[in-house]
Amino acid sequence: MEQVSAKQIPCEELPSLLQSAAAKEVAGFDSVECGNGGVISQTTQPAAAPKETEAVCSHLPAYNEPQDESKHSYSLSISLPTSPSGFHVLQAKQIGSPRTESTQLPPPAAVQLEQPKQGKFHSQPIPAVSIDGKVATMNGKVPDRRVSGGGESQQRDKRFDSFKTWSGRLERQLSNLRGKPQDLESGESSIIEAEDVPAVDRYFDALEGPELDTLRVSEVSVLPEDKKWPFLLRFPISSFGMCLGVSSQAILWKTLATSPSTSFLHVSITVNLVLWCVSLALMSTVAFVYLLKIIFYFEAVKREYYHPVRVNFFFAPWIACLFLVQGVPPTVAEKPHNALWYALMAPIFCLELKIYGQWMSGGQRRLSKVANPSNHLSIVGNFVGALVGASMGLKEGPIFFFAIGLAHYTVLFVTLYQRLPTNETLPKELHPVFFLFVAAPSVACMAWAAIKGDFDYGSRIAYFIALFLYVSLAVRINFFRGFRFSLAWWAYTFPMTGFSIATIKYSMEVTNALTQTLSVGFSVISTFTVSALFITTIIHAFVLHDLFPNDIPIAITQKRPKFSKFIAHLRSLSSDMEAAISKDSLEI
Amino acid sequence: METAAVELQIPRQIQVLPTDDHVAAVKSKSRLSMLTCFHAGYFRISLSLCGQALLWKTLIEPTTDAHALRAVVRCLPSAAFLLLWSVAFLTLLALCLLYLVRCVLCFRSVRAEFAHHVGMNYIFAPWISWLLLLQSAPFLRPNTRGYLLLWWLFALPILALDVKVYGQWFTQGKKFLSMVANPTSQITVIGNLVGARAAAEMGWRESAVCMFSLGIAHYLVLFVTLYQRFLGSDSLPSMLRPVFFLFFAAPSMASLAWASISSSFDTCCKMLFFLSLFLFASLVCRPALFKRSMRRFSVAWWAYSFPLSVLALAATEYAQVVKGAVANVLMLILAVLSVVVTLLLMVFTAIRTGDLLPHDDPFILCSFDSNLH
Repeated sequence: MEQVSAKQIPCEELPSLLQSAAAKEVAGFDSVECGNGGVISQTTQPAAAPKETEAVCSHLPAYNEPQDESKHSYSLSISLPTSPSGFHVLQAKQIGSPRTESTQLPPPAAVQLEQPKQGKFHSQPIPAVSIDGKVATMNGKVPDRRVSGGGESQQRDKRFDSFKTWSGRLERQLSNLRGKPQDLESGESSIIEAEDVPAVDRYFDALEGPELDTLRVSEVSVLPEDKKWPFLLRFPISSFGMCLGVSSQAILWKTLATSPSTSFLHVSITVNLVLWCVSLALMSTVAFVYLLKIIFYFEAVKREYYHPVRVNFFFAPWIACLFLVQGVPPTVAEKPHNALWYALMAPIFCLELKIYGQWMSGGQRRLSKVANPSNHLSIVGNFVGALVGASMGLKEGPIFFFAIGLAHYTVLFVTLYQRLPTNETLPKELHPVFFLFVAAPSVACMAWAAIKGDFDYGSRIAYFIALFLYVSLAVRINFFRGFRFSLAWWAYTFPMTGFSIATIKYSMEVTNALTQTLSVGFSVISTFTVSALFITTIIHAFVLHDLFPNDIPIAITQKRPKFSKFIAHLRSLSSDMEAAISKDSLEI
Repeated sequence: METAAVELQIPRQIQVLPTDDHVAAVKSKSRLSMLTCFHAGYFRISLSLCGQALLWKTLIEPTTDAHALRAVVRCLPSAAFLLLWSVAFLTLLALCLLYLVRCVLCFRSVRAEFAHHVGMNYIFAPWISWLLLLQSAPFLRPNTRGYLLLWWLFALPILALDVKVYGQWFTQGKKFLSMVANPTSQITVIGNLVGARAAAEMGWRESAVCMFSLGIAHYLVLFVTLYQRFLGSDSLPSMLRPVFFLFFAAPSMASLAWASISSSFDTCCKMLFFLSLFLFASLVCRPALFKRSMRRFSVAWWAYSFPLSVLALAATEYAQVVKGAVANVLMLILAVLSVVVTLLLMVFTAIRTGDLLPHDDPFILCSFDSNLH
């Protein structure tokens, strides 16, 4: 095992965690001498004695905050098999101090070779290979280290506490109420605090991809990636995309059944009823689960809110509800109450004030920096509200939201078309998220028609813009390849469905064979896409069991890991080594 | 404007003079320099007062709406309006004369001001104020010859400045829009829209539409650019944050202009009015944005009043068309707000005149020159 030249690094760069540990003092890792407040007990040391007792406290120098620790110097060792969970717990102890990547050294003999599900090494630097080539995981032992004497099953996994509401205190209260008192280690409870939410720059630095959902090679996650996180923590806000997809289908089938220009298809209104009930059930379920997440994992919700792409999905629940109101079967309710519209538009209005205001005046979140196709979701809410309100018979409110939507849509459209060099989030390759471009003009077209009372020139202009965008994306369908499925894809189906509905409305105005063919054709495409997506979702849910993977994007670190290039290099080395090992083991 | 000197990196005059004669000489020079230090930003005061005058005139106008709230508003004695109009007129006259003196004595400073990305927009301000005064004049009817002549007198400089400033936006290297765009650039747009409205009142539809389209086209470009905030907030010192209120002044003015052109407050006007209402709500929800500028009284505070007056005007027109309780309440609230803000500003000016007066010229080529002589 190599050792990098022992660098003497001044102590003020060191996290307080490692303050008192001089290089030669620490016999094992995770040891109390590291000054971590006694959380990591010394009782359960790993079985094998560490071969290198010297440079155990590998560290990365702290960042801005000066540490007033004693002046020890430390040497740096590369060989860092990691127990990420130990690292993460220790990280959780650092309130306010910069999160470092101090990976603790388990004994080198205890080998760690993780096989992450996605085949990527994110949080494990080079694994130490033991002499006989065997690999063993440390994970099973990890929770025990932190627990004084209890078995894992009896204690909560405290690694996720930093993401819980009030740092897990709520959960402890609830367990206490339920009559199962938890071991309250007083030192621990005061130390585990919520982490600060990373600044928007961090999201861009740490993540990549069109939905900013992939961790860069040089980054690590705050939470353990090898273990499956609690379900609520894995439940992203983009799940509401499913509701958007299904409820827009309900509207499509309602329009197909009721519109005179497609009456030749003889579509029954029952389809709409069924789809509507399904979407209502789905919406309730998703809303309930997310409500649980808000109650129990509020910090995680906050991190999602500050994610530059996910924040737009906070509009999705309200848009889905508006779709439900619009697509309500005639048998259920003929004319919804006006108050419902006001109730649904109020949260959209508040969210807009916040987000558009940030575009205008917020330094870090200005539009030239954060603009990405998902921002269309925040614009479309206005047009959907205008459409639903005008369909209900309201006058001024729909015009209000239409005006706001139009003004901000112009800004966003220009910005995205410009593809400013300061904008990093636009994917170089095509991704289903681009279909959101079609959403705004389609819905705006229908909204304007509803406001004006007929499908006039304004609506037609909007419709033709939507048509052009749809066709330019559809002919490039070849380039939509190679992306990992995610629940957010559901959100990208509603533009197709919305466009089909707009086509039907256009064919009502201009009724001829061409428009009717177009209506049927686009409806078929959108239904087919939704069905295919439905099947894919079922497969991922029940066969592959990875419908809700670990939600890495919200678990990025506060600050960039100092030796990030180094880590990236290590990871590539480790993957080489892994390949070599597997080759060796095959040869043996 | 206060930190403009730093931005321009122009050396300041240092005054450490021991003898009495020298002190006296310096004092007289500084009094003179104070006269010449009235940069165009001071026209914010006249903009606000003239905007208020126009608002009061519109509120006092007899309308067909016999709604109770409107009757309350019409309690304002017309004498108060005449007083306000006279005050606005005199203020504008005084400021114009002072600026004229400055032009004569410190032309190089004026040139430097015109080259500055914030200063160049305020050169539009006197002409806008004159046009507003013209529209609110109690004795001048729009169909008279005098009105027409005065319109030409005030609109031509605006058009000339348009050609200069807008042309620079896309042709001149250092003054590309992406470089110079800042919220005060919306004053140029407002200038065109005020001219359009005044022309429409006269009945000159074509000139009105011409100026309107000029304003709206550039407003579209500017709106997008400002929202993108390519350069971030570095382009505007925090003392000038009150000018963010111009964000909702422009669409309100556009709404009023289009209402005059199309003789009715149609959907397009409503949409522009709603947009400005939204931007107003958005800014009012962010008091932290203005905190730094509110620490000390300065002429930048006068930037609050004009946009509020214009918004109240648009709300008045809206309430006239949509005769509902909500619209009338909105109109009342906005009108009261703008009146209160203007009155407060006048009180502050009276109490803290010292803070308001220019102590140094941010475009200070003038005193530097005179030092050489």
